[in-house]
Amino acid sequence: MHRTISIALICLAASTSAAPMTIQLPPDESTLRASTLPGYAVAHQKCGICHSANYISYQPPAMSQAAWTAEMTKMKEAYGAPIDDDEVKLIGAYLAVAYGSAKATDPSVVALASLATPTAPRAAADTAVQALLSANACLGCHAIDHKIVGPGFKDVAAKYKGEPNAKATIAARIRSGGSGLWGDVAMPPMAGIDAAQADALAAFVLSQ
Amino acid sequence: MIDINRRRFVQRAVSAAIAASSLKVFAAQPGSIDTDEGITFAAGPRPLARFPQKRELILVTSRPPHLETPFESFDGNVLTPNDAFYVRYHLAGLPTSIDSATYRLAVTGAVKTPLELSLGDLKTLPGQVEVVAVNQCSGNGRGYSNPRVFGAQLGNGSMGNARWTGVTVKSVLERAGVAAGAVQVAFNGLDKPVLPSTPDFRKALDIDHALSGEPLLAWGMNGADLPFLNGYPLKLIVPGYFGTYWVKHLSDLVVLDKPFAGHDSYFQTIGYRIPDNDCACVTPGTVPDKLRPIGRLPVRSFITNVAANTQLPIGKPTELRGIAFDGGAGIKAVDVSIDGGKSWRAATLGDDLGRYSFRPWRLPVTFATAGDSVLMVRAASNSGEVQPAEATWNPSGYRRHVIESTPVTIG
Repeated sequence: MHRTISIALICLAASTSAAPMTIQLPPDESTLRASTLPGYAVAHQKCGICHSANYISYQPPAMSQAAWTAEMTKMKEAYGAPIDDDEVKLIGAYLAVAYGSAKATDPSVVALASLATPTAPRAAADTAVQALLSANACLGCHAIDHKIVGPGFKDVAAKYKGEPNAKATIAARIRSGGSGLWGDVAMPPMAGIDAAQADALAAFVLSQ
Repeated sequence: MIDINRRRFVQRAVSAAIAASSLKVFAAQPGSIDTDEGITFAAGPRPLARFPQKRELILVTSRPPHLETPFESFDGNVLTPNDAFYVRYHLAGLPTSIDSATYRLAVTGAVKTPLELSLGDLKTLPGQVEVVAVNQCSGNGRGYSNPRVFGAQLGNGSMGNARWTGVTVKSVLERAGVAAGAVQVAFNGLDKPVLPSTPDFRKALDIDHALSGEPLLAWGMNGADLPFLNGYPLKLIVPGYFGTYWVKHLSDLVVLDKPFAGHDSYFQTIGYRIPDNDCACVTPGTVPDKLRPIGRLPVRSFITNVAANTQLPIGKPTELRGIAFDGGAGIKAVDVSIDGGKSWRAATLGDDLGRYSFRPWRLPVTFATAGDSVLMVRAASNSGEVQPAEATWNPSGYRRHVIESTPVTIG
């Protein structure tokens, strides 16, 4: 009897002392080289969903525009990056100029300017919220009711509940990006989203 | 063509003053670790970074984390310390908290009895084993590819050797009862892609390999629990095979009655493939016409106590030492040249921790001539495999195993 009790107590002690093993990863401090090329804003918004900027900056120097563009095709086709065919070319050109052998004045880079004009058909031109969420890969990092990389929309709504400028604050934050409020992974600026679209997204978040 | 590993060294003048008997010319002081190891980067050099349970390691990428072991950590350590062991993830959706008390491993698919096993269950199954084995990243040394290729620009620190404690995959599968007609086992871990459009990281072993008694599910590493970032609480160990198969944070094994396929088979069926020929290589810059999955480690060897471009003393006994390993035949011989490959002499092999382990070697030499020279080391395995004199090339920069060269100055 005595022995049975001792074993039970030992088991209890062992099971209660085994706390979950938890780690905290250091914040990612790597950033993309700024550029006036249109591919910079797209890269800033999309690449960081899945990986840090140093995935790019520690690649070999002097890779060509063709090589960087082929790599963006691989990101899209093999790894499911949420970028369309035009964005493949725009990001490829930006990375080749910022990190490779291409120059902003190369005809093959200049020729892509037309892809980035407001008149070109862009997936994010719709203000319908579901289309915006999809086109901007919002749901890669955010869920409605729980944290993924960024906070759940319900948590954001709860945080801003009752604040007079909640919608404007969230809309501005969507467009400018930021870090430090919810965790260590920075939210990239959603440069492709206009003011009306940001308002629509902010209203959607607050309605959760 | 001599393939020179120009490991830049910030303390190149220091070595001349070091006594021959304690020769250890890698950077020994904080802040002096060479992180680029002769490789150039678009925005290099790479910093050191401190991650949970790890000493300062070379930062390859932050998210998901990829960390390399500074090469000097291999000198004097046949077993790589857990806090120095390299880290490599593919997907940013990695777990950051795991409760070993509630953790379960699922065994499903073509089995008679699906299982949910706790760590306690695994530790009481038959087939408890311990093996010393090298885990080497497929892309170890990719940064030296010529011409350069995309991918993590690794030096030679994406490898490590450890004593793994666990239970054989065979024992777990036999407990579940493998159905007739099973062809492969797919292994999945708790790490997930950020986006559902990205394939999950899963790998497969052929059923004969899985049942061979060699692959194991390990919870112990060098006598301690696995470090979190090396796959806590359970990791697939595939002795002799590249690290890509060593799935971390194992969550489920699925026995398959047809070859692994589909969206989440990408890293097995499309990624991690090499040219399907004897050298696993093609003419640099060209595209292979046929590929096969990467497999066993080719034979490799390194000098661990002399970095490139260091100065070594003339006329004094000097010990050279290092490591050699292969995919499981074991190391038969290690030869060293101190004259750029013109002549070779046999090194003395050290403790044998098993045919999957690093094998240490040492060789006393005395340099007679002042000036520039090139140290080289080559290993041969018990199966007769040797290292190539010229680096082979493939588009993914996998499987580097050329005879490494270390330029030095004597005098």
